[in-house]
Amino acid sequence: MSDLPKSYVSEPRLNGEGTEQPAEPLVLIEMIQRLKVRDVMTSKLVTVVRASPLREVQSLMKAKRISGVPVEEGGRFLGLVTINDILRALEGGYIDETCQKHMSTKLVVLEDDMPLSFALRYFENYHYGRFPVINREQKLVGIICQRDINRALLLELANELNRLESEWVLSKATAQPYNLYVLREFPVSKYDFENAGKAANKIKQILQEKKFPPKIIRRIAVAAYELEINLCVHSDGGSLSWQISNGRVEIIATDSGPGIFDLEWACKDGNSTANEWIRSFGFGAGMGLVNVKRVADEFEIESTVDVGTRVKAVIYIDAKLKDEI
Amino acid sequence: MTILEAARKLNAEVIVEGDAVANSIRHVVASDLMSDVLLVDDEDILLLTSLASDQVLRTAHIIGAVGVIVVNGKSLPTSMVQVARDLGITLIKSDKNKFDACIAVHKALESA
Amino acid sequence: MKLGELVRQAGLEVLALPDGGAEIYNGYTSDLLSDVMGHCPENSILITVQNHKNTVAVSTLAGVQAILVVHNRSIPDEMLALANREKVALLRTTFDQFTISCRIGALLGASSF
Repeated sequence: MSDLPKSYVSEPRLNGEGTEQPAEPLVLIEMIQRLKVRDVMTSKLVTVVRASPLREVQSLMKAKRISGVPVEEGGRFLGLVTINDILRALEGGYIDETCQKHMSTKLVVLEDDMPLSFALRYFENYHYGRFPVINREQKLVGIICQRDINRALLLELANELNRLESEWVLSKATAQPYNLYVLREFPVSKYDFENAGKAANKIKQILQEKKFPPKIIRRIAVAAYELEINLCVHSDGGSLSWQISNGRVEIIATDSGPGIFDLEWACKDGNSTANEWIRSFGFGAGMGLVNVKRVADEFEIESTVDVGTRVKAVIYIDAKLKDEI
Repeated sequence: MTILEAARKLNAEVIVEGDAVANSIRHVVASDLMSDVLLVDDEDILLLTSLASDQVLRTAHIIGAVGVIVVNGKSLPTSMVQVARDLGITLIKSDKNKFDACIAVHKALESA
Repeated sequence: MKLGELVRQAGLEVLALPDGGAEIYNGYTSDLLSDVMGHCPENSILITVQNHKNTVAVSTLAGVQAILVVHNRSIPDEMLALANREKVALLRTTFDQFTISCRIGALLGASSF
């Protein structure tokens, strides 16, 4: 759907150089926002004092496989000696001098209750290998480096994948690598009334098995069903996909045409392009999109004539999420 | 009143006995338009309809209906019966037209 | 029962009432126009949610005296215009098909057991 104006796509993130990056998948974004620096940092710290020679730092780094050693005295955080400092000291021949003389004191630090997303920006912007972490009382509580972040994210992702359905489809995986988080995707063919609605029924059954609250199930099922029927009745064929991740259920219906000429008209109660034959099946009353909007907490629709349409409905499972919005 | 009791009072034929066969009917919807049916928020619904299609059952499943009575004495396609079995929804056939079926169900509910 | 009387007793909203004296013998509840064409008896009141002009067209063929639109659905101008032209009464209620069918059934004294 490259014809779509940029405003329909989620905001791209900027890296340090200011070039655009593609929008990130939901699961990762949620993780990065949910995890705090303290969840990820190394907190068992090895420290030295000002009078310690740099050589001592060097052996610590070797023994503990770390790249930065804080200088701390009497609970006060005074500076940081990094692996670069050690390399320079070796080159400059002053490896036996004290930390006090060569430690970095102009430091960028992170706070332990910052979300990981903040930390990532710091890493992007500052190009340091690590950041000391302080708490509210300005006490040094840990160090965070890129390796810690990678390890934590991998662990979280693994847990997340375990929590997801065992059976999942990677649709067009090579073309769309961000589909990792799709739980199910159901193809829907044009005028295939024999199968129309099957996906929605399946989704409902799964939700019932997972013991979701009945009222939530009803809303999700209605949204899925209406969108699925729309695909069958109005599109040239497409797919209905859905995913559950952290308090929200997303249902997305995409098709390859014909596209909606007037989105506002299509979303109005009673408006429909259905013909008599479709009406004889009990559909085409023009209430579909309106009903989806009614049951969903978030609703997005975008369409380009002769290209296709994409509708997204989100229902919050977690009542708390609703209050936060 | 359960759906089986309703069927008896209407002299209607039970084609498939579903999972919610013992539930009390709390609400009746008489419609042939699926989107109309989907707008209903209530629970334990009895659906009266003239439409003999698989979608009726799929819609009934979505709204958690107790069961479906197809009126006008329409013969039910085998696929429809199969879908009723697959989804566990009670499917009943009545010779009455929908207007008469509504009145009969109403009377049955009142006397229950 | 005379249509005018039925309208009054059932508390129906009137959008078009060419002949309040028309006799109504039956009610017919359907949203499938093919079904209405095939089975709707003459001199009846059609109870439906289908609020478009095709309903009027089919009603004239089936001998329906009055169309009663449920759920307080909006009546498109085209539908009203055609109803006036074809002299079919057009009524509306806030109730749903089931509730209003029972009400009208009671008023018509229908007892089809």
